[in-house]
This record gives sequence, C-alpha cells and structure tokens, in this order.
Amino acid sequence: MKRIALAVATTAVALISTDTLAYAQTNGGIIDVATIGEPPTLDPMASTADLVGIITQHMFETLYTFDAKWGPTPLLAAALPTVSEDGMTLTIPLRTGIKFHDDSVMTAADVVASLERWIKIATRGKQAGEVITGITATDDSTVTITLSKPFAPLLALLSLNNAAAIIIPAANAAQDPLTSFIGTGPYKLKERLPDQYIQLVRFDGYQSLGGEIDGYGGARNQYLDEIRFVPVPDPNTRIGAAMAGQYDYVDQLPVEAFQQITDGATEPVVLAPFGWPVFMMNTKEGLNADIRVRKAIQAALAPEDMMLAAFGSEDFFSIDAAWYPDSFSWHSEVGTEAYKPLGDTETAKALLAEAGYDGSPLRILTSRQYEFHYKMALVAQAYLEAAGFKVQLDVVEWATLTTNRADPALWDIYITHSPFLPEPSLMGIMSDTSPGWWATDAKHAAVEAFNAESDPAKRAELFVEVQKVIYDEVPGYKVGNFNALAAQNPALDGVTPSPWPYFWNAYLTE
Amino acid sequence: MIRSAFNRIFGMLIVMALVVTIVFVIVRVTPGDPAAVMLGPDATAADIASLRQRLGLDASIPQQFLSYIGGILRGDFGQSIFLNMPVTDALWQRAEPTFFLTVFSLTIATLIALPVGVLSAYWRGSAFDQAATTLAMFAASIPSFWLGLIFMQFFAVKLGWFDTSGYGGPGASFGERMHHLVLPAVTLGLISSALITRFTRASMLDVLNDDYVRTARSKGMSEWRVVVKHALKNALIPILTVIGLTAALLISGAIVTETVFGLPGVGSLIVSAVLRRDYPLIQGALLVVAGLYVLVNFIIDMLYLIVDPRVRY
Repeated sequence: MKRIALAVATTAVALISTDTLAYAQTNGGIIDVATIGEPPTLDPMASTADLVGIITQHMFETLYTFDAKWGPTPLLAAALPTVSEDGMTLTIPLRTGIKFHDDSVMTAADVVASLERWIKIATRGKQAGEVITGITATDDSTVTITLSKPFAPLLALLSLNNAAAIIIPAANAAQDPLTSFIGTGPYKLKERLPDQYIQLVRFDGYQSLGGEIDGYGGARNQYLDEIRFVPVPDPNTRIGAAMAGQYDYVDQLPVEAFQQITDGATEPVVLAPFGWPVFMMNTKEGLNADIRVRKAIQAALAPEDMMLAAFGSEDFFSIDAAWYPDSFSWHSEVGTEAYKPLGDTETAKALLAEAGYDGSPLRILTSRQYEFHYKMALVAQAYLEAAGFKVQLDVVEWATLTTNRADPALWDIYITHSPFLPEPSLMGIMSDTSPGWWATDAKHAAVEAFNAESDPAKRAELFVEVQKVIYDEVPGYKVGNFNALAAQNPALDGVTPSPWPYFWNAYLTE
Repeated sequence: MIRSAFNRIFGMLIVMALVVTIVFVIVRVTPGDPAAVMLGPDATAADIASLRQRLGLDASIPQQFLSYIGGILRGDFGQSIFLNMPVTDALWQRAEPTFFLTVFSLTIATLIALPVGVLSAYWRGSAFDQAATTLAMFAASIPSFWLGLIFMQFFAVKLGWFDTSGYGGPGASFGERMHHLVLPAVTLGLISSALITRFTRASMLDVLNDDYVRTARSKGMSEWRVVVKHALKNALIPILTVIGLTAALLISGAIVTETVFGLPGVGSLIVSAVLRRDYPLIQGALLVVAGLYVLVNFIIDMLYLIVDPRVRY
C-alpha cells in the first residue's frame, strides 16, 4: 500500500512538474506555508540558510536564476552575459522598465551598488569578489564585470537564492543589516510578526519575464493574492498540521511520516533525490590529517546500513557513490570504486595498521538537530570500531556544532548535509577555508581547471577529475542520496517540487 | 508588616542581581554564537568573525558585562540580534498568548483541583478518593508534550475543531486568537491540576481533624459551612503557595506546550533565543521571568500575612 502511494506521489510530482499548464489557473486566494522556523534574517545576502532563500526569493530577484535543468537563465538580466575571448570580461544586458516595490525603476546603477554590496557582505559574494576586479555601469541598461582570471562558477553564484546577489535600490545598498526589504520580486513584504507569520502580498507593478515556465526561470505568474509563511518548528506539529490540512504547503516533514500524510487531508510531495549527507574530515589537525586514516575510514563505513538506520526505508534513500545523481549533468561513477555499500572492514583494518594508528579516539562531532545525522553516527561508530578505531561521539546541539567545527582542534569528523547544489563549486568541500580545510596540490589542479572552463560539456568532464581527487584524498565521505517529504493541499496546483519551494505560478483550484 | 515587606524587597534585589550575573556568564560560556547561526551553514570563519565584531561580541566578557549592567540600570535591556527590535518590545509582543494561556490553564486547574481535593479529603479512603488520587498521580506523570500531541491528534486532526498550531494569521480577531489557546490551556490545566489537587487534599486532611473543626460540628453547623468556611479557609495557605508557583511557572512560559502548539509566547521566545544564541534576548527574557517569580513569591508571602495574622518574617 505504501509503495503504491509513494509511486502515486512521485508520479503526481512528475506530472505537476512537466504539465503545470494543463489546468486552468485562477487568480486569487491566500496560501499558508508551514516552514521549519523563523528565518534568522530577511536579507538573502546576509545568510546562506535555505529557509532565508525559500522565503525571500519571492521578494527579491537576481540577475540570473536556474532553469529546470539547473542551468543559469536570465531573470533581471535580458540575456546570458557576453564573455570576452580571454574569459575575463562579462557584459550583462539588463531588462528595462523593471520596477522595485517602491515603484522606482531599476537602473544599472542599482545593479552595480547591489553587486558591490554582495561581494562585500555575502559569503558567496566574497568568494566571487576574490576574482572580481571591477563592476561598472557601461550604460543605463548594461553592466560589465571584469575578472582577474576566468571564473566559470560566477554565473551560478549570481543565480543562487542564498547569500544571493539580489538587486535592491542603490539607496538601500549601504544598509547592513538590511532594513528596507524592497526588491523586484512578484510578492512584496506586507507584515512580519516574528515566530508568527511573514505576510507577502502580490506586487502589482511586477513584470514577469514571460515565455514558458522553466524551473525558476521563464514566466513568473502571480495567481495568488497572498503567501503567508508560518513557522512551525516542531516536526511532530508539522505532521499533525499536514494531516489536519491546516496549511496549504508543509515543508520538510520527516520521511517516516509518509503514511500518516497519505492518510490525512493533504497530499505527500516527494522530492527524490533531495540531497546528500556527508562526513566532513578535518584534514588540518588530528588523526585525519593522515590521508591513510581517512582512507581507512572510507573503507570501514557501510553506507547502506547507515542510510537505512537514518531514513527507515529504501523508499526514502538510495546508495549512490557519485557526488551528483544521474538527473544532473555532473553525474559520473568514475573513480568511485572506494565506496563500498556494505563496508570493507578487512581493508580498513589493513589501512589502519599501515597508518600506525595509536588508538587515540576518533572524534565525531554531530547533533540531534537532524536526527538522521545522529543515527548515521551511531552506525558509523559500530563499523569504525569493528575496523579497530576507538570512537568518541561528541553530540552537541546545532549552534554549538557550527561554532566548534570552525576550530580544527576540536573534531576529526563532523556530519552535515546539503541539497544537491546546481553548481559543484558551491559545495563547501571545494573551498580551502571551509571546515575540513582541504587544500592540496591535486585538489587545486582539478578545481582550478574546472573553475576556469566555461563550456558546460567540458566542465562536466572536468568535474569527473574533481570527484576522482575527492575519492582519492577523502576530504569528505558522501554517504548516499536521500529524499525529502513535504505535503500540499490537493487544491493547490502549479508548485514544482524543489529543494527551495516557490509559489509564484501556484494557484488554488477550488 | 511594612518592615517584613522591606526585608522581602531587599532579598528580592539580591536574588535579581545574582540572576543577572549568572545568566550573563552562562550564556557567554555556552558554546555556539549568534553570528554563526545568522550567517547560515556555509559561512566562512572570517565572515563569522566580522559579524561578531559588528555585534560587539568581540569585546572582553567583563567589558560586555559592564555595558550590559549600565544598560539595565538605564532601563535598556538591549536589542535582540535576530528580531532587530528592543528586547522589551519583543517580550511585550509575546506577552498576550502567554498571559491568557496562564489565566485559562490556571482557571481550569483550580476549578478541577479545589473541589476534587476537598471532596477527596472529606471522603478519605472512599472510592472517589482513591479514583481521584490515582488520576492525579497519572496526570502528574504525563509529559505535557505527549498530552498536547494526543489532544492535537484527536481534536484538531480527527475532529477538526481546532487548529493544530499558531496564533491566527494577519488580522485575526481576539476570539480567533483565544480559540488557538483552548487545546494548550486544557493540556496545561489538566497537568497543573494534579499537583494542586494533591496539595488541597493533604492540606484539608490536616485541618479536618483539628479541634476547631470538631467544635464547629458540635455547635451544629452545616457540613458545608464546616468544610468550606472553617476547614478550607485554614487549609488555604499551602494551596495558595502551590497555585502561585504554578502561575509563575506558566507565566515564565509553558515552554514545551508553547513549542508543540506553535504559540508565539514567552516560552517559545526563550527556546528560539537559546537556539539562536540571541544573547540580549535570553538575558532579558530570563531576567523578566526571574523577576516575575520573585514578585509572585513576594505577593504570596504578603498574602500569608493577610490570611494568617500569626505569620511573621
């Protein structure tokens, strides 16, 4: 029964995503969206948190966004940038007549001021800022970005909705923290009562790009009058709310609640696959500074059992060594031989002996904020101990983890997860400064070649090299792919399942 | 009585000073910091350090403490880092659901506990007494989140009489907001009634055997007058204490219940402030809560003086 229901949910999702326009859309209506909590800020430049991106992408827009195949596509820009021969100058044409929520018209000066704010305060902007040497307004509707070296990930960084390169009026660009939430998005902020609701209403001056709907790109229709984001932090309460049908969309439900949701007043929405859990290795200090120890860990871990413990049923995860699933152009199985679904204790023992392991504890830093992290840690502990490791689980709450992981003296492995990011350069492991501090010559060679190439097909080939180095040097261990579960009102249509759900193009049928 | 009150107030001030200091130190020595939470999972160490500097968290702890104390003395509890508003405004915004939740649950608890406790004591050893004592024990052992979820399943999910969570959307009327408080109030009321019932019963048993009760009966007074006018009035002191402490507990935020029902009250504010390491808000909220506790205790102590003139401090 559960499998049939799951198949129906997944098929429905496929139908919704491919045939959104098959139903008659009606204007009007208010939807309530239950989120996992109150966002730490409404300034999408200031945070990399997904929750911030999910809400603010309705209020603010970027020059580019992602199409259904996760390729960059224009949003406030009129076209993809023209790139000079040497790859160091990008000329971006802007759409004209775009209005901000305060009815002022967007100009190249606003774009320059916004991008300058982005490279100054946003985590991803700073990353781009390392290679950006100038941002200038060539004329009223053209902006030119000059670089110190070719940097292919720039377009993806400009398209992302967290630590986002949003365009705001130049007059507000000096605000830090942002206090005027004026964007160009299809919905504008009406009222925010923290921990109670964030009320967004239709922006009448909005100009949709038009054309076919294509992922986050293409037409953005404003069928709904209002979207209200309501924080419901307790997962059990979100399950209850989904069963009762109190909200039109309930985000991030525990996958084990699938049957309850199916039996309730809303319909389950499964996003398969959603992302990956990863064990990040501290390559800078301690046991894992020795690559042989990291390789022993890679051999010892049994992802199949870890994922089963974490997600309860094979319906909600898959065992996949590739860093990207086959729905992405980055997918490749090459170089992943070291990933053993059932673990390889004997090889692990041999590698550990070779490393001259002295029995000092391997410290795994984790949290119960995400119960699946903790469950994976428990299974990993058993397999690591079988291979001869002495394991110390440091279970702390999430805020402590985010602080402690920044100190290389405090941990050997920390557990985190991420949705599949459209551009591999956005993964923490690609940066030398992200906790784990992986910085080797082999990495730099592979990553720099990947970042310098602009041709998408060649980049996919170059990512295979990056993946090979990851498996070779084990700066992190990707455990598998897992699915996400949400629930939606049967009368709500036009929502495309996504890691960052959005509600322009959504409408109520009753 | 005035002298007693002054003594009490002096003691209160010392307690508050200790609370301010202890809370300040505890939140600072707890790992985790607001900058990391605000910037999100992919923030770099350099980003976090620069935000810490902007928030003034890079100053030494004694420096931060002095500026905090200076603020309190001027009536400034600081600015919430995440809500971007003064701490007092944030607390004031959350006062309504917590206040009414307290009033409703305390009313429910008292309406159940007083008659049941009195009758249990009066019919000591009877089937009623045994049933009431067992039920009270049972209610006292139920975790509030569990009872809340059970009520939610039945009354909200199955019957659809109430919303599962929240406090009403934009423009919700007073009545709609109060409707959201029914399930949490019943949950808390039932659980709180257990303790008050047990205290009422025990306290009544003490006085029902006293000489003056026998004297009252021998004078031919009606049982109602004997029990309510003579016995209950004298049994009230410990009962008042328990009711007062329950009220203080509820005002300080029925933390778990508010979280389960998604109520934007003081309890859930404290929880989210702790999870986000919003230092000024944690400090301000705990200071207010401790202040309320101390105040309720003070009021109870003063009530003792009125109810029982023999009491001296």
